[in-house]
Amino acid sequence: MNVQEIRPILSALLRNRTGAVLVALQVAIALAVLVNAVYVVKQRVDKIGRPTGIDVENIFVVTSAGFGAGYDHSATVRDDLAWLRGLPGVRAAALSSGVPLSGGGSSNTVYKTPEVKGEGTPVNYFLVDEQGVDALGTRLVAGRAFRADEILPEDPTYHEPMPSMIVTRALARALFGTDDAVGKVGYDGLGRPITVIGVIDHMQGSWVDWDKLDYVGLLPRRAFGPRATYLVRTAPGQRDALMKLAEGHLSASNPKRMIQHVRALDYYRDRSYRSDRNMAIFLVVVTVLLACVTALGIFALATFNVSVRTRQIGTRRAVGARRADVVRYFMVENWLITTAGVLLGAALALAVGYSLSRAYQLPRLDLYYLVGGVVALWALGQAAAWQPARRAARISPAVATRTV
Amino acid sequence: MFGYYVKLAARSLRRNPGITSLMVLAIALGIAVCVITLTVYHGMSSNPLWWKNDRVYAVTLDSWDPEEPADDKHPDLPPPQLTWRDAEAVTASGIPLRAVRMFKGFGVVSSDAAGSVRPENAIVRVTSADFFGLFDVPFRHGGGWKAAADSGPEPVAVLSRETNERFFGGANSVGRTIRWDDRAFRVVGVLDDWHPAPNFYDLNNGAFDEPEAMYVPIGWAPVLELKSAGNTNCWKPEEIKTYADFMASECIWLQAWVELPDSAARVRMQGWLDNYVATERKSGRFQRPDNNRLTPVDQWLRDNDVVGNDNRMLIALAFAFLSVCLINTVGLLLAKFLGSASITGVRRALGASRRQVFLQHLAEAGLLAGVGAGLGVLLSLLGLYGLRAMYASPWGGVTSVMHVNAWSLAVTVALAVGAALAAGLYPAWRIGRLAPSVYLKSQ
Repeated sequence: MNVQEIRPILSALLRNRTGAVLVALQVAIALAVLVNAVYVVKQRVDKIGRPTGIDVENIFVVTSAGFGAGYDHSATVRDDLAWLRGLPGVRAAALSSGVPLSGGGSSNTVYKTPEVKGEGTPVNYFLVDEQGVDALGTRLVAGRAFRADEILPEDPTYHEPMPSMIVTRALARALFGTDDAVGKVGYDGLGRPITVIGVIDHMQGSWVDWDKLDYVGLLPRRAFGPRATYLVRTAPGQRDALMKLAEGHLSASNPKRMIQHVRALDYYRDRSYRSDRNMAIFLVVVTVLLACVTALGIFALATFNVSVRTRQIGTRRAVGARRADVVRYFMVENWLITTAGVLLGAALALAVGYSLSRAYQLPRLDLYYLVGGVVALWALGQAAAWQPARRAARISPAVATRTV
Repeated sequence: MFGYYVKLAARSLRRNPGITSLMVLAIALGIAVCVITLTVYHGMSSNPLWWKNDRVYAVTLDSWDPEEPADDKHPDLPPPQLTWRDAEAVTASGIPLRAVRMFKGFGVVSSDAAGSVRPENAIVRVTSADFFGLFDVPFRHGGGWKAAADSGPEPVAVLSRETNERFFGGANSVGRTIRWDDRAFRVVGVLDDWHPAPNFYDLNNGAFDEPEAMYVPIGWAPVLELKSAGNTNCWKPEEIKTYADFMASECIWLQAWVELPDSAARVRMQGWLDNYVATERKSGRFQRPDNNRLTPVDQWLRDNDVVGNDNRMLIALAFAFLSVCLINTVGLLLAKFLGSASITGVRRALGASRRQVFLQHLAEAGLLAGVGAGLGVLLSLLGLYGLRAMYASPWGGVTSVMHVNAWSLAVTVALAVGAALAAGLYPAWRIGRLAPSVYLKSQ
């Protein structure tokens, strides 16, 4: 194709420009929406897909609530854990103060110096017992897990000191500037020391929308009653069967408490990410519909143009234009319109991207998305124009003579 | 005349069934997406106590850390909850017509009456006697408790309709016994259906949180040493060994609401708050600048971001989609009108005025938009049904705002009229300007 070929198409377009302008506008809006929707969807999908550091698929959670007169919390927890740990297929079971990824949890501030001056580091902490690390399926990279004899008794006041802690690598780096944190000491709000005895590779905490989601610390203490939460990790593939078994046994084992839920950990994860997932689905659905409407609009208008220009095309064929020339005419026309649209759309997409990045505090729209969007709309336009152009090419030269 | 225009329009639309159905579908989809997003947005941002918006206020005071604001995202706002002693002082101030301090508690609810009903681990709101009058809570049986029951505290409880259904089969249970963590409480009232959405009076765990199963007097908190099932936030490193320490601490965990019948009462309450904070400041508390607020419900919903960025983005997306659908329709209508220009030419030559031609074609756009809107309502019903499935929760939650209602229908009508004008005006005007001779000649 050369410039001489484009010029007549362009001048024909300019003489009858309303339809072209409308298609270009559609393309522009479609591009702005497409690029930003894909960008936002990518952010959400990435967020949902972040590694958890936890063996989510093989863990289930039991929540028990004691209420009857004379309910003995310590005995109940001891019996429950003994029974759970004795089940074939259970890798580990631990009493925990919370459920990771569930949206509920506790945090406190740990300081670098006992004077508690200056920046503290927020720590999303979980009170666990000696099987905590194992029940979460996290990977210990330095130091050791808690021993049974260092698990401290219940403390409903949240006030007793915490001599030791297991931290994630991310928290170790935030607190001490190094992964190699075993033996390092942090301080609580009252200046009491907490020594790091182990480092786990990675673990996500309670709140998936928190930017410090992996600032997690495990503390060696029994969570206080009368509520109890057990994290149970099973051998792969055995979770669902063991959940049924646990629900049946524990519901009947003690009339002074009720089993509130026996749920897979991925239930909590999915619930926490539900609005992100649904937002992504909604964006994809609307964007696909928008692309369809745009393509159908281009298709319909091209079809219409072909039918209006039947005689003109016939004349061109009669004076020597080949079928390929006719096809090319329509494809180039479409390409010119789409190109005008994407130029406008690129500006629009950047403006929308800018306002989104401000509203969500996201990094600015990546330009690769824009390039991808432009290519996609060119392709969409050409695909939509292809069938009408082919139909135009089938117009017989004889048409030119018939109606004159 | 109008009927004739519509008949002409229908005939013209039947001539190109393909293009017509494309235009109808585009308008229907555009309207449906807008109606769905606007319905959800409207429901989420609605004020469930709108008739008391000039009387009911959330009370907040900035008792937070002198070094940093309570919420980085809203550094201008005080923390959303109060300490025990500040909440107690606010409700004891004597100025409001009604005053409530409360928190979200929890516990196992059971009953002796129905031995076979499984106990339920439930949300129990620990609140003041004024709760029911201040929020206009409807009763089915009985009523709230007297203010004296708060300080006693007396073992009295108000049940939600669902709890009464569950434990007493829906009968009038006033005077009967309900157990909360195995402690006996006497039922004094049973609520009618009451599920404010959003649950504006406690937004700490989301605006569509699990509803309360029952309500008990606030005075039980120190007696039973109750902890909040909602949020408890503390900024100050301090010794908290006993419940008394906790009650005296800077930890915030209570919500406080007041009803002030007129602006004079509001001014007096504001003055009281400022004065209270000034007094407390002398003893070393409240080291941040004065930020003592009485916030009406609608502003409270905005301050707490009940409607998020995602909702706003979806509205923008919906309108971008609708505009593409309409531009599409403009293009197709224009092409169609110009394509049948010869017929219009004959009409003009036979004496139809420009105005009549314009109106004829506008009627065609109107008919399209009308049919599109009808289909759009059906698609909205379908879409909202899908959304409810995606957001299903045991207690309904946010799905309660995902229903087509009178407001959605009004929006649909407005969008349909807008769509007809947006899509039809220009093509109808273009075709109305045609000189009839040109089109008659080419025959």
